[in-house]
Amino acid sequence: MRAARRAGPEFEAAAAAAERFEALLRDAVEVPVPDSLVADLAVLRPSGSRRWWPAALAAGLLLAVGAATVIGQLRPGWDSVEDYVIDHYRHDGPEMLARQVTTDTAQARALLAAFDLDAAPALIDIIDVIKVCPTPDGRGVHMVLNTASGPLTVIYMPRTTVTDRARLAFDDLDAMLVELPVGSAAVVGHEVENYYALVHDSLRPLAGGS
Amino acid sequence: MGTERDERARRFDRLARAHGADLYRFALWLCGREALARDLVQETFLRAWKALEALRDDGAARSWLITILRREYARTFERKVPTLVDIDAVTVPETAEPGPDRRADRDLLRESIARLPQRYREPLLLQVVIGLSCAEIARELDISQSAVMTRLFRAREKLKTALQRDGITGNIDGSF
Repeated sequence: MRAARRAGPEFEAAAAAAERFEALLRDAVEVPVPDSLVADLAVLRPSGSRRWWPAALAAGLLLAVGAATVIGQLRPGWDSVEDYVIDHYRHDGPEMLARQVTTDTAQARALLAAFDLDAAPALIDIIDVIKVCPTPDGRGVHMVLNTASGPLTVIYMPRTTVTDRARLAFDDLDAMLVELPVGSAAVVGHEVENYYALVHDSLRPLAGGS
Repeated sequence: MGTERDERARRFDRLARAHGADLYRFALWLCGREALARDLVQETFLRAWKALEALRDDGAARSWLITILRREYARTFERKVPTLVDIDAVTVPETAEPGPDRRADRDLLRESIARLPQRYREPLLLQVVIGLSCAEIARELDISQSAVMTRLFRAREKLKTALQRDGITGNIDGSF
């Protein structure tokens, strides 16, 4: 650019135009980044003796963490599990329902195994999408099941205690809390009472897990 | 063992802080959707964590991470993500807005970038977003450096043409 400028006024004008364009280009590609992006990446590091991801993670396995930072802290504003369920579903639920990338059984099983969790075929065979998500007490799993009643969201919370069969309603949806052998789950959708047994009986500790 | 693990974690965190934002921007331009871009970056850093020992020099981390991300994109998303047509669906609102003229230029340029064929868009983004040199881009895309330079030139020419065609302010004399 400096050499172009020294070559004469017409070259100087061209150099200035090129610099303006490059500045505009840098500005255009500089799209904003979500505030929680880097903090969410830190959550991906395994801690202690937690089992690491199996090597067979592949297409359709969605690992996005919700916008809430989950470095061992309860997100401000969650005064109860119910608050968390409503807040988390409003933030992530519709987006998960809209996703076109589906998960296959092996990938779903692999992700659950990272939480020392297994699922019976009745549940795992109808998982459409699955991802890691924040919960009141750390990371959990957010699943969308393809059921006869339509899509059903199941949020697994490995370290959260709930009142079994507690119900709540919001935004024309029903939700139910399910106490599990390890952790708990929130089921969100329609006719959720019909799926209590499915969720309660299908999600179980992984055999030989830590 | 604890110290090694801690050092590994610190190293990972440094990489995430240094490169996470640019990788996200590149991923967003690549796949066109915020949620998928976040997934792509998450997957990239998961694999990076697992293979961290393979990165001998943190100075090469940027290229290393981009390679992982592009492979993940090709393997996971390339066949399933629709072509980006609406840049408004991609970019999130910014807190510090430029003036209206500048914003019009920027917005039109963003739309034009999104519409570039991938063979032009990708090298351009690798250069402008990630900061790779022509040699690094050539290695990444497995093409010659002259091919990289040609594609970069053509990408810019197409963008300038788009700006001129729409009579964008600041360019009324066709000085681009």
